[in-house]
Amino acid sequence: MELSPLLIVLVAFGVMSGTLAGLLGVGGGIFMVPFLVLAVGLTQQEAQATSLLVVLPTALVATWSLYRSGVVDLSKALKIGLCGIVGSVAGAALALHLPGQVLKICFAVLLTVVGLKLLRDAKRMPPTGARPPAEPTVPADSVEP
Amino acid sequence: MTTAAAGGRGSGPYYLAIGVIGGLLSGLLGIGGGTVMVPLMVLWLGTAQREAHALSLAAIIPISLVAVLVYGQAGKVDPLAALALTLGAIFGARMGAGLLAKASERPLKFAFGFFLLIAALLLVVEG
Repeated sequence: MELSPLLIVLVAFGVMSGTLAGLLGVGGGIFMVPFLVLAVGLTQQEAQATSLLVVLPTALVATWSLYRSGVVDLSKALKIGLCGIVGSVAGAALALHLPGQVLKICFAVLLTVVGLKLLRDAKRMPPTGARPPAEPTVPADSVEP
Repeated sequence: MTTAAAGGRGSGPYYLAIGVIGGLLSGLLGIGGGTVMVPLMVLWLGTAQREAHALSLAAIIPISLVAVLVYGQAGKVDPLAALALTLGAIFGARMGAGLLAKASERPLKFAFGFFLLIAALLLVVEG
């Protein structure tokens, strides 16, 4: 692996991926794995193992920051995460027996449907986002002439 | 879609189920749990977008910790790449979390909706 130029690109990509991860509530592996495979030239396995190592500190730093802002319910999140471990181990075991390519395409279709639904929901929300949609609108110009 | 308990009281078991489903798909497909957990919370429980993103991030900590311990040893990590990415990512994660703490529901929903479309594309491209 060449040193400085590639390292700078990696750090810059880390900033981008970390920012999106912190904003979107994901680990960032979905950005890093294709990048490491296509741009850096790692194998799929190397890329996944490397990306996992980066996801952990990313989630830690983002959660710490959100915790200080009072945004996150840590005990609830911990329960979800512990159940997630059980699911993850089961999923990894199942993956050995199921056709991965077919699953990925099915899942990509599902993500597309869900993504479009979220975009439609967002479009229907009032631009401020804070106000309830069914608020009765009182005409502002009800002043007598 | 039913909003099971609107993220309020009594929604505990639903969150636990979301953890299992999120982890399952994550382990099965090698994608991050957040991509699965956030939409489940939002569409199934009616959790607000920001709360769902924050819960997902914190839930990723134990999941990725175990994943690192289990798969990190098996897979060949590129330590230099991991270090460089981490240096950038921890800086970015602070910025992203700062943005999340201030963002309102509508732009977050838009951003996550677009993210899912890109994630779907990457999933197919990556193969």
